[in-house]
This record gives sequence, C-alpha cells and structure tokens, in this order.
Amino acid sequence: MTDQLVERVREALRVVIDPELGENIVDLGFIYDIAAAGGAVRIKMTATTPGCPATSFLREGAQAAASAVPGVVSADVAMTFEPAWTHDLIAPSIRASLGFAAVN
Amino acid sequence: MIGGNMSRWTMTYFAAALTWLLAALALMAAGIGHPATDLAAPDTLVLVHVICIGWLSTAMCGALFQFVPVLVARPLFSERLTLPALGLLTAGLIALLAGFMALGGRLPSGPWLLPLGAVLLVAGFGLVILDLGLTAWLRPTGPARFVLVGLASLCATVTFGAVFAFALAGWAGPVGDAVLARGIPLHAIAGLGGWLTLTAMGVSYRLLSMFMLAPDVEDRQSRLTLAAGGLAVAATVGGGAFAVGVAMRLNAVLSVAALLGLTCAALYGRDLAGIFRNRKRRELELNMRMAILSFASLAGTAVLGIALVSIGTLPLHLGAFAFLTVFGWLSGLVLAKLYKIVAFLTWLETYGPVMGRAATPRVQDLAAEQRATKWFAIYYLAVWAGTLALLAGEPSAFRIAAAAMTVGVFGIIHEIIRIRRLEDVASPLRLPAGAVAPHLLFAKT
Repeated sequence: MTDQLVERVREALRVVIDPELGENIVDLGFIYDIAAAGGAVRIKMTATTPGCPATSFLREGAQAAASAVPGVVSADVAMTFEPAWTHDLIAPSIRASLGFAAVN
Repeated sequence: MIGGNMSRWTMTYFAAALTWLLAALALMAAGIGHPATDLAAPDTLVLVHVICIGWLSTAMCGALFQFVPVLVARPLFSERLTLPALGLLTAGLIALLAGFMALGGRLPSGPWLLPLGAVLLVAGFGLVILDLGLTAWLRPTGPARFVLVGLASLCATVTFGAVFAFALAGWAGPVGDAVLARGIPLHAIAGLGGWLTLTAMGVSYRLLSMFMLAPDVEDRQSRLTLAAGGLAVAATVGGGAFAVGVAMRLNAVLSVAALLGLTCAALYGRDLAGIFRNRKRRELELNMRMAILSFASLAGTAVLGIALVSIGTLPLHLGAFAFLTVFGWLSGLVLAKLYKIVAFLTWLETYGPVMGRAATPRVQDLAAEQRATKWFAIYYLAVWAGTLALLAGEPSAFRIAAAAMTVGVFGIIHEIIRIRRLEDVASPLRLPAGAVAPHLLFAKT
C-alpha cells in the first residue's frame, strides 16, 4: 500500500518540469527520496543551481503535485544540495531529447 | 539560500536601458555625436553617456540585481534600493546630458546642470554599489569576484566622472582641471574595461555554464583571468592618477594596462572555449549562438587594437575601436542575454506559481528563435559594417549602418515584447488556470 502511494506520488511529480531543460523533475533525477508513512509523504529533492529563483517554484510545485494525490494527507518537501545534482542522474531515455552528445 | 526571489524591477531596468539604446542609435543615424569626432565634443559626450550609462549600465544593473543572488546563493541585500537607484540614475543622466547640450550651445547655459547630474549619478550608482557589493561580499566566490572588481571599477569611473563634471562647471579648482585635462582615458578604461567588461565576463561564466550544463570553470583558472583584468584596471586608475598628479605622460601606464587587458581577454577566451567544449547540451540556443558573435567581436577588438598600435594609428581610429567594443562585444552580449533572461524571468513569473497544479510550457516555448535570428543577424552585420565605415572614414556609410542597427534592435525589442506577452506560447499551455499574465514593465510576484 505504502509502495503504491510512493509510486503514485512519483508519477504525479512528473507534471513539474525544470523550466530550462523542459523535462520533468523525476526523469531529471531531481527526486532523491520519497517516503510515506500512513498518508504523510516526505520528499527530498534537489535542483541544478542553488539560489536560482526557479528552485523555490520547483519545491512548491512538487508540494502541490504530491498533495493532490488521493491518499496523501500531508506532503513535506525538503530541498537539498547534498549531494549536488549531476548530469549522470538524468534518465538515459531522455538524454537524447536534451541534445546530449553520446560521448557525454 | 535554497531559492532566490525575483527582482521586481529588473524588467523596468531593461525597458529603460532599451529606450536609451534606441535614443543612441537615433543620434548616430542622424549623425549627431559621430564616434570618430573629438571625444570631448559636447555631442560626442551626449552620445557616449547615453550608451554607457543609459543603455549598458542600466541593463547591467537590472541583470545584476537578479543574478548576483544566484551567483552567491544569498538574497539581495535590499530589494527596496533598486527602484530609487533607477530613478536617481535616470534623473542624473538627464541632467548630465542637459549639461553637455548646454556646453554645446544646444540648450541655454546652465553650469549647475553637470554637477547636479554628477551628484544624482553618484547617489544612484552608490545605491547600486551598496546593494550589490554587500550582497556579493558575503560570499565572494567564483564569478562574484568579477562583480566585486567590476563594482570597484565603477567607483573609480564615477569618481572621475564627478570630478570632470565639477571641473567643466568651473567648480573643481586647478586639481580638477588637471584631472579633466588628462584623465579621460582613465575614466573610459575603468568604465568600459573594469565595470562593464569584467562584470559581463563574471556573469557570463555562470550563465553559460548554467544554460549549457557545463561544469563551472575551475576557480584557479578564472582567478587568473580576473587578476589580469583587475590589474589592468588598477594599473590604469592607480598609475594614471599618479601620472596625472606628477604631470607625467600616460603612455607607459596605458601600455602596461593594454598588455594586461589583452592577457585578460586571451585568458577569458581560453575559459570560454573550455565551457563550450565541456558542455553537456550540444545544441546551442539562439542566445548562445549570438553570444559567440559578441565573443568574436571581443577578439576582433583585441586584434584591431594590436593592428592600430602597430601601425601607429590608434589615436586616429579610437572611435572605431571603442565602437566595436561597445556595440560588438558589450551590447551584442547584453542583447543576446536579455533575449534569454526576459524569457526565463517571464516563465518564472507566469508559470512558477502554478507548477505542480497544471502543465506548463518550457522557457524555450516563450521565444520564437527562428524569427528572432534575422534581427540579431542584421544587428551584428550592421555593427561590423559600421566599424569598417569608421575605419574607412565614411560618415555616410556609418549612418546607414547605424540605421540598420536600429532596425535590428527594433526587431529584437519586438521579440522581447512578444515574449513578455506570451504571444508565442501555444494556446493550451499559454495561461493555465491560476496563472496571471505578466506586466510588460515589472514583475508582479
């Protein structure tokens, strides 16, 4: 049941995109962890650059998307830059769409 | 700081800056303040200050209020200072220009106009330096160091300018007169080289890495670039002031500064090549492609400077050299980055608040790059043609080039307004429920 809720939350987070990269935050590897206990969901996420105004909107967007999932009573989203995000975290399936070179 | 705020008045700064740019282009197209005429001629002083304070400095300040917090991951020291600073800068510039026009007989004599303009500009730039300096000082790492050196150069530029203004009014005594007689190159180098160029370099490191997903340039490497640039400005200002004080010729000081400046430009080129080589995103957006043309123009100014010095004609062609620096390098880079920054900030303002609640477009969906490309192409071709016209001593050809630059800039401004009005966003995503259309001239959030 808990695993199903985590997956539903993960799926819901795909509506939140990084404005610059144009891909959702799940496939970009911004979501470090999703934990659920009862209906309380805790999400740990990151972004590409600390201090960027987009960072706050990404966190609030994740909070709104998770809160809208049926079965979620509360959603707490924590932003972290430890460890820092790297390009390796991007899902291989969308690397090409971002124009990444094969060698990279 | 996890996430920064949007600076409310950045768009207002950009709008004011672009208005001054159009004014400068109109003056050049009309043949007023031709860059090849005497630098001290009142009409030339009007043109130079419209460009350097009205256009470039205003645009740079607006961008820095938004991006210095990103560079240092700290909030701006005070958002409340940004609008009064713009008001003071605008009023100061208008008074200064009126003072120059009075000098040239275009307005009735008003010796107090220049000192008034200087006081207002000192106050306006003082607020900018205070706000940005205190923001960057808390965490002076990487590109933020460039901004700090740029702000120090701005202090020197403004101080020289204020002394000149009082001296032109006859209120600065013999010391002021001596500084006015020989200090103009120091004022120009501190402004164009220190304030505008070093700051543009610093911001570009972060923006290029961020938008192309490239690793940041190694700190040791960029510090060397900054050291060369910073020493060039320090040699100019410190050595120049000493030379003026003891009535020495400025040639030795300017030669040392030129060598250090060339070293800085070469090292910056090496740093940029590294960013482009190591980028993860291979496809370049329009703003990046156009930025490359401004980097090429910077390289062109270095080559032109060396060539003119070698054949001993730099004093004769100083106007062409300054024109390529100002319009090819600095203005080209600012226009290319404005195109991107406006789209990015407009996206944040419009779609940031509804993220997670509705599907949103990408930043790139706000711009129509294919259509905008031609305006940038017209702009750069006209700038390079204008430089050649100045070198060839063809004022009529230069005015035609200035008119073509005006067409290009009008086109770019039209594209920016379209971005701000979300006119190129496909209708299903344009204004989702809960999103508020942005105001053209300031951020609502």
